[in-house]
Amino acid sequence: MAHIDCNFYSDSLQKNAHVIVFIPSMSADDFLEDRQVSYYEEGKKYPVLYLLHGSYGDCMDWSLRSSIERYAQDKEIAVVMPSAENSAYINMVWGENYLTYIGKELPDFLRKIFPLSSVRDENYIAGLSMGGYGAFRVALEYPETFGYIASLSGGLDMPALQNGTEAHSKKMPLNYKEAVFDGGDKIAGSRNDLPVLLKEKKSAEICLPKMYMNCGTEDFIYPANEAFYKAACQMGVEITYERFQGVHCWDYWDAHIKDVLNWLP
Amino acid sequence: MAFFQTNFFSPVLGFNTDINVLIPTPNSDEILNHKKSDYFFDGAKYQVLYLLHGAYGDYSDWMRLTSIEKYAQNHKLAVVMPSASNSFYQDMFRGSSYLTYLTEELPQFVKALFPISAKRENTFTAGLSMGGYGALRLALTKPEQYAACASLSGAIDIEGCLERVKNGTMGGPFLWDSIFEASAQIAGTDADLFALIKKRKAEGRQLPKVFQSCGTEDFIYPLNILAHQRLLETGIDLTYEEHPGIHDWDYWDTHIQRVLEWLPLAEDSVKE
Repeated sequence: MAHIDCNFYSDSLQKNAHVIVFIPSMSADDFLEDRQVSYYEEGKKYPVLYLLHGSYGDCMDWSLRSSIERYAQDKEIAVVMPSAENSAYINMVWGENYLTYIGKELPDFLRKIFPLSSVRDENYIAGLSMGGYGAFRVALEYPETFGYIASLSGGLDMPALQNGTEAHSKKMPLNYKEAVFDGGDKIAGSRNDLPVLLKEKKSAEICLPKMYMNCGTEDFIYPANEAFYKAACQMGVEITYERFQGVHCWDYWDAHIKDVLNWLP
Repeated sequence: MAFFQTNFFSPVLGFNTDINVLIPTPNSDEILNHKKSDYFFDGAKYQVLYLLHGAYGDYSDWMRLTSIEKYAQNHKLAVVMPSASNSFYQDMFRGSSYLTYLTEELPQFVKALFPISAKRENTFTAGLSMGGYGALRLALTKPEQYAACASLSGAIDIEGCLERVKNGTMGGPFLWDSIFEASAQIAGTDADLFALIKKRKAEGRQLPKVFQSCGTEDFIYPLNILAHQRLLETGIDLTYEEHPGIHDWDYWDTHIQRVLEWLPLAEDSVKE
């Protein structure tokens, strides 16, 4: 894999953006085993996974703390890891437009720069924790762009989590939380409430992305996953859901991002 | 400008290597001043400058020690900055094949990943000191790939450099006997740029045009004067400049701008 650390000016954020990108290229293993792989073929386009970090993280997390490079190399897909602060990947009420940035500007831009597929069924989005929420939030906003959504230990019940008593919610600077949602009480019933958004998209009778959830049964965020899954089932929305023993940690995400890649086409 | 720090495995070198890449994009300046233009029409590619570091350096030097990003943005030029260790841009006899990496593998790699033109008329090399030599070495090795090459304070006369290192009047980290099978016999080989130009001319191949610039207080200035004379004798298309200055980044930061003015630039993305 070519590991590319990108920095460029983002129009939707009105500031510079930092993104890590993996593009398949000849690896030492390919070289040693004489694998004939046509990485540099003219007109070649790779399927691409947008991979989102959790709260308190950034674009470096997945490449530093998991072996995503190795897994993606095996699958011959590109990976795009953006930074979104603690924005929950929405257009912040009092802040930057991360939803527009990740769902619209970034795919448009990166397809111009790198050999990335623009076919919907070859555009995937996944993330952990806040990034699991982000994957759903972004792909449901731009269902024509993303064919597949996957969440690991996702913050899928955002109203409950934002008003929760877990450290993940309590330690977040209050002024930042205000900037994102304009107050935790504004989420329920809004389009930032995933069941509400899902219902809207379902009744619009558009082609919904295929959906996948994965959560550790000892994770503090497990009840939020159960609640969202139940709500989706009640709507008649089909989601593949896998539960394993585990908590909210990188061991879990490094192990189970492989389930996501296996689930993807 | 979009800035890409890129790390990948090079089969030619047999290890991972780094390049810095700049691709023109609308920047905050242009947006503030309503100068935003269409950078990425379908099929848009950029002219590219392969920009080479000097001895003791690596791929990060030009980004860290000059304002190359700003200058390239002004000209809408893509820039690729690779690493070549202290190889003098050769396929080392005992060591790594940097010349092959830079003239074959790297162009193929960057053209596959980035919107970079594949045409000769859009491909240029430049470098400082050892990289000034390297810029000419690359372009003259594959003159069908490069339209122009530029040397700043360059060690164009590699034999002269070796002589001065041997008699102690010049230093350098070069492992001559690793780079060359027999460093005593550089003259007349492809590493001897004057001989290489002669050879390419005899082959009837179209040569890149050459830019040469050196500071008049630079320790390598006398060698550049000699090299200038010998380049003139070859009859190659040569632009020569000398300015007050020494062998330092002030000189290179200033005069890389002259290189960009001299290059045949479209000042825009190109169709391919």
